[in-house]
Amino acid sequence: MKRKGLGFYLRIYVKILAQDIKSKMSYRADFFISTIGMICTNIAGFITFWILFRNFPSISGWNYYEMLFLYGFSLISLTPVQCLFDNNWSLRSYVYSGDFIKYCFRPINLFFYFQSEVFDIKGLGQLAFGIGTLVFAWVKIGLAFTPLMLLKLIVFLITASLIMIALQNAASATCFWIQNSFYILDLAYRFRDFAKYPVTIFSPVFKFIFTFIVPIAFIAYYPSLVILRPDTVPVLSWLSPVIGVVFFWLSYKFWMYGALKYNGTGS
Amino acid sequence: MKLKKYLSLTRAGIIEQLQFRMSMLVIVLGNLLYLTVVYFLWKAIYASSGTDVVNGMTFSDTLIYLVLATALFNFMEMYTVWQMGRSIQSGAIILDLIKPMNPRSYLFWTYSGNFVVNFFSTFLPTFIVVCIVTHGAVPLGTNLAYFVVSVVMAIMINYNIDFFVGTICIYTESIWGINIMKQVIVLLLSGATIPIAFFPEPFKSITMYLPFQSIYNAPLTLLLNGSPEMSDVGRILVTQFAWCVVTLVISRLFWKVSLKRITVNGG
Amino acid sequence: MAPIIELKNVTKEFKVLNRREGLKGSLRDLFSRDYKTVRAVDNISMSIEQGEIIGYLGPNGAGKSTTIKMMTGVLEPTSGEITVDGTVPYYNRAKNAQKIGVVFGQRSQLWWALPLVESFKLLKDIYMIEDKPYKDMLALYQSLVDIEPLLHKTVRQMSLGQRTLSDILAAFLHDPKIVFLDEPTIGLDVSMKSKIRTLIHALNKEKNTTVILTTHDMGDVDALCRRIAIIDKGKMLYDNDIEHLKGFFGSYRTLKIRTDGDHKIQAEAIRAELPDFSVSADDEWISVLVDEDRQKVIDVLGQLQKSYDIRDMQLNEISTEEVIRKIYEEGVQ
Repeated sequence: MKRKGLGFYLRIYVKILAQDIKSKMSYRADFFISTIGMICTNIAGFITFWILFRNFPSISGWNYYEMLFLYGFSLISLTPVQCLFDNNWSLRSYVYSGDFIKYCFRPINLFFYFQSEVFDIKGLGQLAFGIGTLVFAWVKIGLAFTPLMLLKLIVFLITASLIMIALQNAASATCFWIQNSFYILDLAYRFRDFAKYPVTIFSPVFKFIFTFIVPIAFIAYYPSLVILRPDTVPVLSWLSPVIGVVFFWLSYKFWMYGALKYNGTGS
Repeated sequence: MKLKKYLSLTRAGIIEQLQFRMSMLVIVLGNLLYLTVVYFLWKAIYASSGTDVVNGMTFSDTLIYLVLATALFNFMEMYTVWQMGRSIQSGAIILDLIKPMNPRSYLFWTYSGNFVVNFFSTFLPTFIVVCIVTHGAVPLGTNLAYFVVSVVMAIMINYNIDFFVGTICIYTESIWGINIMKQVIVLLLSGATIPIAFFPEPFKSITMYLPFQSIYNAPLTLLLNGSPEMSDVGRILVTQFAWCVVTLVISRLFWKVSLKRITVNGG
Repeated sequence: MAPIIELKNVTKEFKVLNRREGLKGSLRDLFSRDYKTVRAVDNISMSIEQGEIIGYLGPNGAGKSTTIKMMTGVLEPTSGEITVDGTVPYYNRAKNAQKIGVVFGQRSQLWWALPLVESFKLLKDIYMIEDKPYKDMLALYQSLVDIEPLLHKTVRQMSLGQRTLSDILAAFLHDPKIVFLDEPTIGLDVSMKSKIRTLIHALNKEKNTTVILTTHDMGDVDALCRRIAIIDKGKMLYDNDIEHLKGFFGSYRTLKIRTDGDHKIQAEAIRAELPDFSVSADDEWISVLVDEDRQKVIDVLGQLQKSYDIRDMQLNEISTEEVIRKIYEEGVQ
């Protein structure tokens, strides 16, 4: 049998994606309403943010524009998980109904096959919001724009995305053990809302938890330091790309382990 | 025995919930973790503001308000829109229509078991923790009685709005979009994400004329005030009651009209 | 030639929770749990040759699906060994998947929102099918069933029958050595059932594909299988030719009569009158399964004639349906 390498998976993924987008476009009303919903969510997020800062001019020494930077940064890093890994939300019902088994009969990677099935185009709207916010904050703070900065930004955005994805994978995979895992997924979803606040506001215990156990501090805070506080970047910031990869890999292993174990319990 | 019929649905709901042992644990622990995060976040916010009272609310007030708003949200979120949307799309709604109970009550009472379980697993522990953490900042007097009455009406208003929005699913396939729009609007305008006291004018006045503030803002305002003017209590409760009636009538009418679409078109 | 599938003393056990009853019971379950072990498959051995169509039968919950899941590599047996075409499926799931095709009843494995032809193209890539065999396969499909109108429909828009048909075609697309069909004709109308049976038969003949078929419809068995394996409560009851099995029941005849009155009510009365034999009724016939070693058919008929006004009658060999029912009810002696 031929080996199935990265090229093989990439080719299949692009094909599935193209087909999926094509078919989504044919449900125009649904697409339209979902997009409005997405826009509403983001606008509401901004309003909350704006009201908060009308009452409190800064949080732990981070001013309005810096917080806006974190906000935009976390929105952008949410895009991949929203667009590419959204099927995680349905995992629970596939497992519950037993339909999950249909993914097990193909000669390709189970995780890949499952995630490839859904591409959530709404996430792109969020991306636009995120970029807009980030650029606005960037200009207002008066940051320089150099190729090196851009490179840093891209590397750390990818890092943040990996952590987001890892969190969601791990949360959704709990359904292989726990029948009603919606709450965990929901909890993970709510926690990532806190990603946009500087981790320094927490007590040492929680700082530790949010850095090493539920690593939401890596979603926006540590990576942003590289750009916003270039003089006092902690080692953890520089390590975050590695940590992102490690967490992603762990979550993947966890997911796969759960999938195999689930099959082992039948039903 | 009409009530017996309903209460047996409640009982079945409780038994169903109790089967998910792990998720019960997750709900309890997750909720506590969430509380802690909210605590630190607002502590930091207040610490950076330099004053103790912002917009008439102290740190304890804000904490109690937001934490209990979240607990109320967990308690009241019935996923009605999802349930209705799915059952309309799959055609299972037809089965609900032939049950010897109107679908509105059936859906509500089927879920009522969760109210009981959620009350003991999330609301009560949260309430106790908050009382302890804020060193008795929660007044324990007649305001508790007003609060309970107010919460009951809040549940009804919330359900009426949910049922109204769920009915929209008869017209569109976009459950996600419809639900997210509802959720965002309700949470923001009801004061669940940020206390309405923080809203700038004319925002604040506008929300007072909408039904949403009756869901979270009304019961929490009643709870936080230990020695309220009777006229204030009366005004809040009467407003809530009025919204109960109005939302009930509207959501009933809308359902009745929309149902024709199902019965005429065959779903 | 070595068998394509070999099962040796395969056993599969599951741990299930004993739930307590009532509200109090649920509360107790929250804190202490009581598990028991259930043996879904109990020491099963069989070997299947390339090109066979084997009917794998048994009542609901007998362990059929569990066995199939083990053969497809989704489940690992608690003890015993399985080899599929020389490899152990549960250690090499992906490799095994390349060699098999699976249709699981009403659970479509195709992409819901895609037109069938696009699903096929994706499968072509996933299974790395070369252009030539892919085209040949489509041509073969076209010659067997009229797939042209299906190709541009999405699975979502298809009727259950069309969907099942598409799933079967998709399962055979990469020319697998073995295809597992789990209740492929469930819920389908008579003409669709026969269309699907013809298709499976033709593909088996054309490609020499081994087919493992589980079903509750004896029409499927009669149309497709020479060999059947019957499993109940995890144990293998029978594994051989159908004809051989029918031989056990050589002395049985099915006597069918048609009367005026209500068949259901009359069948009740006949059942009371002839307690030794099983009696069933539908709109057309009242059927009595007579064991000639006990009582001659002609005597039974004579007896019935006294009480009922018989309009029409038939005398048949025992049907597969009746053989299987007798085995489910009484086992094989």
